[in-house]
Amino acid sequence: MNLSYKHIAHFLNVGQNRSSRYFSYFGLGIGVLLLLCSVQMYININQLIKDKNPRKNGFDYISVTKNITNENMGKDNRFSLAEVADVKAQPFIKDAAPLLANQFRAKASAGNIIPFSTDLFLEAIQDDFLDTLPPTFKWQPGQQDLPIIFSADFLEMYNVFAPAQDLPQLSASSIGAVNITVECYGPMGNRIDFRGHIIAVTDRINSILVPKDFLSWANKNLGNMENPPAARIYIKTTDANSAELLSYLQQKDYHVNKDKTKFGRVKQILQAIVSGLGGFAVLVILLAMMLFSFYLQLVIARSKDNLQLLLTLGYSPGWLSKTVAKKWIPVYAIIILSALALTQVVHFIFQQAFLSGKETLSPFIHPVVVLVAAVLMFLCVTVNYRLIRKLLYKL
Amino acid sequence: MTNITLEQVAPDFLEKEKIAHSEIWNKTVSIKKGERLQIVAPSGSGKSSFIHFLYGMRKDYHGNILFDGKPVKNFTPEDTANNRSNHLSIIFQDLRLFPEQTAHENIEIKRLLQPYHQQSKVNEMANALGVSSKLKQLGKTCSYGEQQRIAIIRSLQQPFDFLLLDEPFSHLDENNRKKAMALIEEEATSRGAAIILADLKPIEYFNSERTLHL
Repeated sequence: MNLSYKHIAHFLNVGQNRSSRYFSYFGLGIGVLLLLCSVQMYININQLIKDKNPRKNGFDYISVTKNITNENMGKDNRFSLAEVADVKAQPFIKDAAPLLANQFRAKASAGNIIPFSTDLFLEAIQDDFLDTLPPTFKWQPGQQDLPIIFSADFLEMYNVFAPAQDLPQLSASSIGAVNITVECYGPMGNRIDFRGHIIAVTDRINSILVPKDFLSWANKNLGNMENPPAARIYIKTTDANSAELLSYLQQKDYHVNKDKTKFGRVKQILQAIVSGLGGFAVLVILLAMMLFSFYLQLVIARSKDNLQLLLTLGYSPGWLSKTVAKKWIPVYAIIILSALALTQVVHFIFQQAFLSGKETLSPFIHPVVVLVAAVLMFLCVTVNYRLIRKLLYKL
Repeated sequence: MTNITLEQVAPDFLEKEKIAHSEIWNKTVSIKKGERLQIVAPSGSGKSSFIHFLYGMRKDYHGNILFDGKPVKNFTPEDTANNRSNHLSIIFQDLRLFPEQTAHENIEIKRLLQPYHQQSKVNEMANALGVSSKLKQLGKTCSYGEQQRIAIIRSLQQPFDFLLLDEPFSHLDENNRKKAMALIEEEATSRGAAIILADLKPIEYFNSERTLHL
């Protein structure tokens, strides 16, 4: 059939009800623009918040404890093996490790040079959770020397109160020279001493860390349990700000370092706003398409006699639907491409004005936005075609 | 398409008495391509319904109408459209022209669908039937006789195997009837097509091979 729309154009009363047609075009344009901008902003927020978070080896390590409240403070708030396994099983958590604590009394003194003595706690964690791991961080039964990894925060605190106590301030590099005697007491009062050496300082874990082999041995021989439940665990994740992770931790009522995840919370709020905007945009698009469908129904109802006669003469309803639907493809294309171009302008202004053209954000819209525009185009054309086809088959 | 068969076809709405006396209703009738068949019946015996059943416009009948063995009732809208543009042509009793289009546009919209003739042939046919001066006139401003001749010319613009005529000359005088019949027979012969003509009385100048009373 060498026929085209121009041959049947005068049989359709498309000129009727112009206001509702133009109103639906306008609505569709606004809806598509809102949706594309929402998607682009969602991606921008994701990108920016991810980049704000200092990461090591591509992972974030976060300490997780149970929330201690007035209601549960008398109870055992340590993590059971099942709870640790559940944390590990989450797809957004790459790994989780309990921090093993000492089950015996431990005391440290630094001899005559730094005359102080204090009760202390010791903890151990599997090696791959440590940011600094010297090769000497090992221990085996019978070894007198006990390697220690010390928290940088604790060192800072020590340096704050040391002058007031007439103690020398220590740098991270000189702390290794201090000889510490670690006194470990058994349940019957028996005491075993070790020569402690701080061999590294860690930014990641706020604790006094000893080799796991040592703590397991000491807990077994001096305490009453080799592997007691952990009061806190460390999780390893690719994105500490992921909404899934935050909602999981909230749902379990686990406590995390707010600073580590604060961008995540901002991100959650911003993404909720942008998602709401996206939802509103979808609603606007739906309303615009409904208005357009009413216009189409009106056109077909007003052209009913002509269309019926065309079908009677042998015009195929499939061909008629396609030909009539095709008439609106350029209109949809113009609306969606204009919205895409405007989204690019909005994104460029956002990138330039608010972020001073930071390199972390590309000046061009994300391919996903283009994909969304393509999907919208496909949807508009398909919905339009199916509606016309349905109306024509009903004639 | 080479054969139309009616197997015990009868309209759902027609009185039993009329069906009982018919040579078509509730009988098995076969019509072959190339045949000239005249159907004669008084008003109200279902002539237009019969033509509409064959053209696939109505399905309020029982029994089966088969095109080359395939039941018409099972055809999809696309199959029906294909039949109407390639195998079946029709002249309606009520003419069915687009009132807001010119006579020429009314013919062209059919010719362009599946062109069998060049555009010049339209003028030739209009001359033969005496409506060449009416081609630029809107359908609604033509007289019934002129509209009928336009409808006849329109029906001859496509390929067909069966031409269905439902009281095709009701608004024409004797002279124009003969001219129209001659043109129709000539066009049907050139296609090797059958003519199924339904009218109130037998038409003498139609060279029918068979006459059936509805």
